[in-house]
Amino acid sequence: MNRRELLLTGTALASATLLPRAVFAEANRLDVYINGDANISDFWSNVIKPAFEKANSGITVNVVIARGDNGTTPIVARAMAALKTKQDPQVDVFEENDPLEAKGGIAAGLWADFSKAGLANYSKINPLAIQTPYGLPYRGSQVLLAYDTTKLPKDKVPKTWPDLVAWIKANPGQFIYNRPDKGGSGGNFVRRAIHEANGRDPSKFTVDNYVKGDSDALLAKGFALLQDIAPSLYDQGAYTAGNTASLQLLAQGAVTMIPAWSDQALQSISQGVLPDTTGLVQLTDLALCGGFSTSTIPTDAANYAQALKLADFILTPEIQAQIVGDLGGFPGIKWEFLPEDLQKKYADVVPKSIPTFPGGDWASAISDGWYRIVAPNVSRS
Amino acid sequence: MGLLLVAVPVLLVLWLIVWPIVVAVFTTFQVDTPKGPAWSLESYSFFFTDGFSLGNLWVTIWTTAVTTVIVIAVALPIALYLRFSNGKLAAYIQSIALFPLFVPSILLAFALIRTIGPNGMLDTLLNAAHLPKIRSPYLTPWGPVIGLTWDNLPLTLLIVLSGLANVSTASVEAARDVGAGSLSILWHIILPRIANSLLVAASFIVLGLFSAFTLPYLLGPAAPEMMGPFMQRTFIDVNNPTEATTQAMITFLFCAVFAVFYVRSVASSQRRRG
Repeated sequence: MNRRELLLTGTALASATLLPRAVFAEANRLDVYINGDANISDFWSNVIKPAFEKANSGITVNVVIARGDNGTTPIVARAMAALKTKQDPQVDVFEENDPLEAKGGIAAGLWADFSKAGLANYSKINPLAIQTPYGLPYRGSQVLLAYDTTKLPKDKVPKTWPDLVAWIKANPGQFIYNRPDKGGSGGNFVRRAIHEANGRDPSKFTVDNYVKGDSDALLAKGFALLQDIAPSLYDQGAYTAGNTASLQLLAQGAVTMIPAWSDQALQSISQGVLPDTTGLVQLTDLALCGGFSTSTIPTDAANYAQALKLADFILTPEIQAQIVGDLGGFPGIKWEFLPEDLQKKYADVVPKSIPTFPGGDWASAISDGWYRIVAPNVSRS
Repeated sequence: MGLLLVAVPVLLVLWLIVWPIVVAVFTTFQVDTPKGPAWSLESYSFFFTDGFSLGNLWVTIWTTAVTTVIVIAVALPIALYLRFSNGKLAAYIQSIALFPLFVPSILLAFALIRTIGPNGMLDTLLNAAHLPKIRSPYLTPWGPVIGLTWDNLPLTLLIVLSGLANVSTASVEAARDVGAGSLSILWHIILPRIANSLLVAASFIVLGLFSAFTLPYLLGPAAPEMMGPFMQRTFIDVNNPTEATTQAMITFLFCAVFAVFYVRSVASSQRRRG
């Protein structure tokens, strides 16, 4: 073979591998698309997949990892296009997908309506978690307060915003939260202050009601509360650069209390990053913000019936208990369906409400305003 | 033929680097009006009248100046020692001094939180020696200074060492024979020969520090913040690309001054050799 032939063959071979592989959905193989972090895809591969396949012989679960900037967005677009052309979308389940996001998806009948799909476990779902019947809220996470029970006994822990502020002022240097744009734990603590200053009414803030000027005045009221506690924070007003850095300060005993994501705190405790003596508590007057991850099933999925079986399966108390135990998440179903020891262990963090705060323009205004108003306005000499 | 060889990289640089910069610079001189974009210096006048932005620029200059002085003050004695001594100990010291080159800065940041952070190793040691607790530099402007000093030490050391190779042992010994002390040897014999290397080293440190991101982000205070985290936050979180580009332009102009120093010193040393 001379050089030219070699080059030609090589090019031909190389371009063959570049051709999109013709993938067809196999009967009884559920293609589950996941765009979450490794902990989520590991949980699906190591916990849900074997358990479901054991309970339903003949059906296999194929975990497809679609991380990156776009994640599952192009796959959703593909499912939508397939619906119009009546073709196979080559996807059966989206592990985490907001059915409200794809424009016109619900109207076109793209997503399965779980409330009418006859799932045995649907009635077990926590009503706080249901925003739309087209998304299945099967795991959640919420910001709560993590504290050191050796310095702050469980019966003295503040459970309302005024009590928390009083405690922070009475114990200067023992509380820290991270910068609001660098992680949700501090971000949602800042949002809780904004809720507090605006009548504890999360419904005042919606995706499309940010108006420059007027809305900034609402935010400024919340920033004033934060300025008030700033001198009593760690190092007279320092703010960590992320969720993990706050957990680290709590672990080092430098502070007594921090806001933290429930899943990160629970995982840190189970892995020994935080000691067993770490307590978790949620505010009872209005909880800190959180949210649920919802799964969706396209109605044009090749294995639609089997996919619904899987949806029902992940709502069973056994899997939901593992979401709490292994993943550190919040259950999608009501806590009363979980084993009693789990209920007891997490009694202080079971939310009575799960407020949310819109992103978009609100998030930009909070980041800019907080850095300009709250962060520098402290003499730290 | 030679031109053809460099054509591909040059075109790539033009397409992927120069062109986007030119486009970005244009956007900083424009404002959106109802009639369409118009020329304006608005984003620059905002930056230079905004106390918050100026505070961030100032802390960047402060951090750069302090860190550059500290890095050179630490690197010079180590370099002198390594140049004029042999043996195993010198080899060990050299490998320890170069070690930071191989540690990613994100690991360094979290390690530093553990050591100089509150209740960290430093506090534990002080406590064991019955010394009073010090205020941790973590989350103050000194946090990034410590981290960046550690981070910049190896490269500075290598540059100064290569400069010291120009100092002949014979000239140092000759000076010593006629009775020159250590300090006057340093001042009259060694420093003049490595001035160029020091300038190059300083330029490298300054250029690196102005765009430093990870260490100021993780170790520094929320405000004032250095230009690196400030630009990123303005671009992504505040969602204001024009202002972020303006900040980048101003940062670039400061760096350009040092780039000119660097280019001139390289050119003059080549001319001398030439």
